[in-house]
Parts: sequence; structure tokens; C-alpha cells
Amino acid sequence: MTTTSLQAPPSGRPDGLLRARPDGWGTAVTVALAWLILIAASSLHSSDFFSHQTVLAVTFTMAITGVLAVGESLVALSGGILDLSLPTALVLPAYLTTVLLDHHVPTAAVVLLALLVGALWGALNATIIVFGKLNPIIVTLATNFAGLAALFLIFQAAQTPQASGIRQFGKGYFLGLPNIWWPMVVLIVVVGLLIPRTRYGRRMTAVGGNAGAAKARGISLPRTRYAVFIASGVCGGLAGLIFAASNASFTPNEGAAFLLPVLAAVILAGISLQGGRGNLLLLLLSVGFLSTVPTSLVFFGLNSDWQIVFQGLILIIAVSIDGHRQRSARA
Amino acid sequence: MTQTSVRGASTPTHGRPASGHDPLRERLGRLLTGAVGTIAMTLAAVIVLGTILAGQEFLSTSNIAIVGSFVAVPIIVGTFAGFSLLSGVVDLSIGSMVGFSAAAYASLTQAGWGGWSAAAVTLLLCLGFGVLNAVAIVTFNADPIAATLGMLTALRGLCRVLTGGSGAITAFNDQFYEFTNKSFGPLPLLFFISLVVAVLATVVVTKTRLGRHIRAVGGEERAAQRAGMSVARIRYGALMLSAVGAGIGGILYIGQLGGASNTTGMGLEFQVYAALMIGGYSILRGGVGNPSGGVMGLLVVAGVSNLIDLTGVNTYFTNLIVGALLLAAVFLDRLRGGDAYE
Amino acid sequence: MRRVGRGPGRRVLSLVAVTAAASVTLAACGGGSTSSGSSDGSKTLTIGMAVGGQPDVDWQKAQGDVARALAKQRGWNYIELSNNGDAPTATKNVDTFIQKKVDAVIEFNGQPSVNPVMAKKLAAAKIPTITYDIAQQGWYFVGIDNKAAGEAGGKALGEIAKSKWNCDVDLVLSAEGKAAGPVNEARTGGMRTGLKSVCPDIPSDKYVSFESNGQVSVAQPAARDALAAHPQAKKILVVGINDSGVVGALQAAEQLGRADQIIGWGQDGSLITGANVNPHLAGSVFYFLESYPTYTFEQILDKIAAGQAPPVKDTGEDPAVKIQPCPVSAAEAAKVPGTSERVAQLAKAPKGKTALDLFCPAQSG
Repeated sequence: MTTTSLQAPPSGRPDGLLRARPDGWGTAVTVALAWLILIAASSLHSSDFFSHQTVLAVTFTMAITGVLAVGESLVALSGGILDLSLPTALVLPAYLTTVLLDHHVPTAAVVLLALLVGALWGALNATIIVFGKLNPIIVTLATNFAGLAALFLIFQAAQTPQASGIRQFGKGYFLGLPNIWWPMVVLIVVVGLLIPRTRYGRRMTAVGGNAGAAKARGISLPRTRYAVFIASGVCGGLAGLIFAASNASFTPNEGAAFLLPVLAAVILAGISLQGGRGNLLLLLLSVGFLSTVPTSLVFFGLNSDWQIVFQGLILIIAVSIDGHRQRSARA
Repeated sequence: MTQTSVRGASTPTHGRPASGHDPLRERLGRLLTGAVGTIAMTLAAVIVLGTILAGQEFLSTSNIAIVGSFVAVPIIVGTFAGFSLLSGVVDLSIGSMVGFSAAAYASLTQAGWGGWSAAAVTLLLCLGFGVLNAVAIVTFNADPIAATLGMLTALRGLCRVLTGGSGAITAFNDQFYEFTNKSFGPLPLLFFISLVVAVLATVVVTKTRLGRHIRAVGGEERAAQRAGMSVARIRYGALMLSAVGAGIGGILYIGQLGGASNTTGMGLEFQVYAALMIGGYSILRGGVGNPSGGVMGLLVVAGVSNLIDLTGVNTYFTNLIVGALLLAAVFLDRLRGGDAYE
Repeated sequence: MRRVGRGPGRRVLSLVAVTAAASVTLAACGGGSTSSGSSDGSKTLTIGMAVGGQPDVDWQKAQGDVARALAKQRGWNYIELSNNGDAPTATKNVDTFIQKKVDAVIEFNGQPSVNPVMAKKLAAAKIPTITYDIAQQGWYFVGIDNKAAGEAGGKALGEIAKSKWNCDVDLVLSAEGKAAGPVNEARTGGMRTGLKSVCPDIPSDKYVSFESNGQVSVAQPAARDALAAHPQAKKILVVGINDSGVVGALQAAEQLGRADQIIGWGQDGSLITGANVNPHLAGSVFYFLESYPTYTFEQILDKIAAGQAPPVKDTGEDPAVKIQPCPVSAAEAAKVPGTSERVAQLAKAPKGKTALDLFCPAQSG
């Protein structure tokens, strides 16, 4: 199988509604099981693990990754492979948020503008992809490069005003869990439920499965690309708001560290980078599991260098399992 | 003859007159249109402009030594990684592999191992990681970008573990340093060696049966399989080559730089692949690309950067120019028959 | 589909044209080199400065700005290159300086593992070299004693722990920045040493490190995990390689509902000023890094120009120029001006006036 060739494999799978079991059942069980084993092992090793403190630590970590993972999943699902401009998509709205708040712009307007900026960023990506007919990986790599260079020209460090409503939101809790966790959950559940049940969602998945066949059926490819990359940009906008609310002090290059955890979450959720396959609801499981791993490693006493090694290994294993499943599905 | 794409969708292989009459002008035209031709023209343009803007200094021995020393290791790493690209698999872990190799070699030599045995062990380890990549990608059909990104992360972690709390290992060796820094006539020895490696690789890619098979596997996987080639074996070999090349690069860095740090090799994959793409390879499809194009791509980027250093322009512009060249290269690749993305 | 002849030829030509146009434009916009003009009879020097190249840290660029202004003041030539945080680039820059026959080199090299090789080259070319903050045998050492800066901050934090908790501390978090190598060991380790000098009875197993990479977004989740692993700790101190690492831990404590259990002291002064200072950041340590060139030019380069090169002092303990750190509490920090203001003042400050004289509250009263 060539790298990211768009000689798309014929998927031949029927639409989601016709299946008896929800899509990705096997993956869900695997990830949930892995998560449970991790929690059990950590709790056995240290009784302090099973506590509200750990839950808070993990849920705070989940928030931004989860929102970004929704955007990347949509891109992957529709055959756009990957949006590598994630770092800029995160930091640009976050920076805008801090600037607007410095000028005492009301919260509702700030939220809308951050999401709008995210959408515009996505539209920029989509325009270059559609009109240049270039592969999204290259395009988003290039736009990210340029975007970061531009951001570095604009600022070196940004801070969210402590007194602002958004900052206070970022610090608060709802039902014992962080405020910022809930938008992530709502987003994943809503989008995950809507994709297989709406015409737009099914069309997008069809394009990912086989762009040529989808085009023959009359689905507009450019419109799909625009929709998907703008959606990814909006997710970046929401993530940027959450980032500004909870991180509160940042430099332009702090978005890059999210790329790998998000990618791992998407793949672990069984959403194939080849497109056309995947259930976004599983992101709840994969993001949860991947956010618990670093905490567990700390309880086990391993330092952060080993965390990075484990993160890498998990990604390799996850993507191997995914590839193997893909090949068996086609066989 | 210079167009290495097996696809044949672009100029040279079509349109050859049936009579076999092949005027020199048309052959020259084909030479210039190919990937290698374009990058050669670009390199020539950079040289001309450099001489105009920076004067005699640009082509002086010492300046060529500066540029040559800087690109020697990337050329070696890139030439080996290019085999993987040709076979249709992009190995993004090469930068971290270089870092791991440097850290491993430095650790071993500092622990008392001799240079050659340390190198052997280090390269074996890198080979092992290359095999891991291949197992994931070829046997398990994992997506190469995601799998090698995972390996990139894991190896960077191992590099950090090896360099420990201080984040660096000093491993300065007089002999090794002399070897990597001495001259061979007008050129640095290491640069000369890297060019030899690239030339040999070019011969393998364009003239040997192995090269044809690699390009076939990358270009038209199914056709290659039907023709009886073992896609799996070739890709295994290509990924192992890529890993070993990065391993060699890491060891050479210890000679050149006298030590390893936890950030050694960071960003190298970007430098190498940007240059390879500018030089005619594609990270999105296999079968296209030529090591000499890769060398010229690296020289173009390093030459532009050197020109910017010499003329005192803000170094921020280097990134812009590289980005522009990259986009231009990708466009040209598409015009030359690459897949249009819809 | 034949596309020989004019098609590809035109493409190639346009590529050449674009490159040419770009280069000409760049040459017109360029300007890292200033032209010479001798002033008082001493030699006109060409100074080569290699800045760190980290884009999100304003003091690295500021060091270049101040150096450029000071060179211009003296009518000297000035070449600035960026090390880009990359060892091969740092080596390449040294080669370029040698080729350009500079009279002195100033280095901020974020990848010090390659310093020995660079030193060998510069020594062979007989070019005196000044290094900022990172010692190298044979190079003039100008810098903060990072250990002393760490100890000053650690001591200040210890004094607070003593008065507030009588040194009965449950947990000391260290926000490490391993990528900084020896600077991290000196500074973060120095903070622990300073703390121990005031509160020696805190058991060693209460000292926990986490990797912050000097960034809030990395420090925060790592500190959250560390805090979750020590749920019984009610009196917590935080030290770290810089303000961002420490603030990340403070914010993590807030997130876990333990804001009132934690006090931190930072380094580098980047988050101790302005309207959004974290209430639990008790203080920080200013280095006024942008002022290094002032000392460099006045105490070393001017003397080299006059033919009286000072002896090469190359260690942190016995440096050519030792710059005192300026610890400030949160309250005092309000009196310190921002970076761009400091750069502007330094560029026109009279000779002999140091940044400490101008900006440090303890010194300038």
C-alpha cells in the first residue's frame, strides 16, 4: 500500500445504518479494556491513583486534545488524510482571544470571533487544496510553516487576563469535573452521533471511502473539502479558546506538542487515515486512555523521557493494529 | 534516460518518434524537463546569483567547504532515505534515528568501547528499529506516516534517556574529528564521500535491475507484484537502508560535532525531505526521484542559506525561500504527472 | 503528450526569474552589516555575533539588538548570524565568521555539546571569543552565574517557607528544562541548594522533579500528574528553570483545587510583571540578559580594540564578567520596566551604567 496515495481502496462497506452493531465495536472494546487494565494496574501499584485528584488531572488533559481530535477525525474520515496545520489552528485563535480580552471585548463576541478565525484558517487551507489540487498533507505543512513564522513576527508571549470571564471559566468546575471538559464531551458526542445519521455526514464518509465513486454519485468534492477543513479550523478555534482559558500564558510554538497525542487518539479510535471508516464516538475512549497513560507512568515512577518512548510505541502498535484490520477487512 | 518515473504519464517516455530518430535537441529538451534537470537549473541559478550578490567569496574554497561540511551528513541520510521514498514508503523517523544513533555511539565510546565496535553495535540497533518500522508498515499494513511518526517519538525519547539529566554527552575524539574535518583537495573529505555515496546510489537507482524493481514497487505496486517482484522484501530492505543511513549520519555527527545532545537530529527530517522534494522525489507517491536530484536540492537550500548569511540579510527569509521552493517543486511534480488531489 | 521545447523551458526560466527577483529584493532589504567609520584612534573591529535563534524568547533577539547598537556607536562592523538552536548550524556559523575574518566572536549557543569543536576552530583562527552563560574553555565567560541565580531564588523561597510554615514542607516540585542541559542543572539545581540552605530538614524524598520544557503547556499537565501522585501534600513549594515552568505548576495546583497549598519562586522574570501575575508566584530572578552586550563591549571588546586584551577568564566561578542576578519579590517587580524599554535605555546608556544600576529595585533603591 503506497504512502498516502489516493488510489483509494474500494471499501465496499454498506452504510452505517444498515449494520446491526455500531461501527467500530471491536475497537471500542479493545480500547476500553486497555484503559481498564491501565487503571487497575495503576491503582494496584498505588492506592492514591483511584481518586478525584487523578480524575481531575486526566480530564483537564483530555479537554484540548479531544476537541482537536474531532477536527482531525473529520479530515481523516473524508479522505483529507491529516491537517498538519493544527499548531497554528490552535495558537492563532488563542492569541486572538488574549488580544480581544485585553481590549475588554465581551465574552460572547470573543468566542464567536475565535471560532470565526478558526473557520477562516480552515478556509485558507481548503482554498489552496481545492484550487491547487494539492495534497492536504503538503498544503497544511506549508501553511503551518508560514502561519507559525507569521505568529512569531506578531508576538513572543501572550497572557490571558486573569479577571476575564473566559479565564474564570477555564478555572471552574461543573458537576465536579472541569468546565473545559464538558464542551469536549458535547462536541464528540454530537458530532459522533450526527456523522452516520445525516446526509452530510454520510456523504463526507463516502468521499473518504472512494472519492471517485462519490464524485460519480454527484457529491461535490470541493464543497466537501471546504466543509471538512473549515470544521477542523472551527475545532481549532474552540480548542484555542479552551487553551487560552486554561493555559493562560503561552508562546507561539506551544501548539506543536498537541499534534502527536491528537494523531494517536484519532488512530487509536479506529478512524483510518485512508478515509471512509471510523466512529468519532470512540474518541472519548481513545482520548481518555491516552490522557491517562502519562499520569499512570508518573504513579509508576517513570520519568518523562520514558513517557515519550511509550507514547511513540503506543502509536506504532495502534496504527499496526489499524492497518492489519484494514487489510483483513478488504481481504 | 534521466526521467526516473516508471509511470510514464509525463513527457519523456511518450512521444518518442516511431522511426527511432532522436534529434539531440529533443533529448536535451527531455533532459531539461525532468526532475533532475529542473533542480540542476535551479542550482545553477543559485550559483550565478550567489556570485553576483556575494562576489568572489561565494565560490571560494573556504565557502564551498562551509556549505559542503554542512550538507555532508544530510546528503548521506537523505540518499539512504530516498530509497525508502522510491519504494513508496516515507520514513519520518530519520531525524530521531540520527539523534538516537549519535547518543548511542557517544555513550558506548564514553563507556570505553572502541570506535568500530561502538559503530557496529549502534548500526545494528538502528537496523533493528528499521526492521520494527518495516514490520509495522509492511507486515501489518500500518500507515507509514503515522507509524514512522510513532517511531520518531519513541526514538527521541530513547535519545533523551541516553543523554540523561544534563541533556548532552561529550564524545570528542581527535582522530574522528580530523577525519570528518579534513580536506580532500578543494573539497572537505566528508562532503566528497557523501557525493560518492550519492553517485553510487544514482547508478543503482537508474541503471541496475534492483533500482528498477524498487522504482516499480513504489510506482505501480500491483503491476510490480504481478510481474513477480516481492514488494514486501523490497520495502523491508528500503526501510532498513533508511534506518542504517540515519545511523551512519548520527555517528558521523559525533565526529563532526564532538558530542550528542537530546536535540541532535531534531528537524533533520524536515530539512532532508524538503530538499528531496525540491530535488524531484515525492513523499506522496513512490517511484519518482533520483539521488542526484536530492543532492542538488540540499545544495540549493544550503546555498541560499549561505548566501543570506554572507549578505547579512535577515535569516528569517531563509524559511520563506525554502517554503516557496518547496511549493514550486510540488507544483512541478504535479505538472509532471503526479496525482491531482481532488 | 509532448511538452518539450517551449513549455518546460519557460517553466525553468520562470523559476530562475523568480529566484533572481527574490534575491535582488532581499539584497535591497538586507542589512545585518553596518559600515565602518573609525572614531578615536583605536582599531575598527568587525564583531561577529551568533544569537541563540529561539524565536519565542525575546531576550535573544534583544541581545543582538543591543550589540548592534553598541557596535554602531563605536563605528565598528557587525555581522549577526543565528544559531537556530541547532548544533550543525552553530558550527557552520563559526566557519562563516572565520571566513569573514572577524576580530571577535560573541556566542550564545543553545547546543553547548558542540562548543569544544567550535572552540578548536576559533582558536586555530586566533579569534577571541566571548560566550554568554555557557562556559567553554578558552572563551571569555560573560554571564549570570546560573548557580548563584538559582541559589538566590531558592533562598528567597526558603525564607518564605520558614516564616509561613516553619520549614515544614510536604513537597518541593522542580520544573526542569532538560533541553537546556547544564544551565538547567545549575539553575534548577541551584534553587534546590538555596532552599536547602534555609530549610535543611526537608527530607530528600519530598523533592520531586517533572519536565516542563520551560513552557506552561508542558509544565501544567506534568505538574498535575505529580500533584495527583502526592494527594496528601498540603504545603508545597515550586522551583524551576524559568517562570513559565513554575507558573505551570501553580496553575496545575489551582486546577486540582489546591491553590492555597502552593508557593513558587521563578527564574528569568518573564511572568512576574504586568497585570496577570499569578498570585502564588512569590517572586522571580531577573538576569537582564539583554544587557550582556553592554558588559561585553565595555569590559572586553573596547580593550581588545585598544590593543590591551584582558586575560581570558573562562569559568563560571572565575568569569571575565560576572553578572549579578537580581532577585525580586512580586511586589518589587512592578518597578522593573519591560524588555523593549530596557533595550532602548541600554542602547543610549552612558558608559559604566549597568542594567543592575538602571533596573534592579534592590540596587537602584
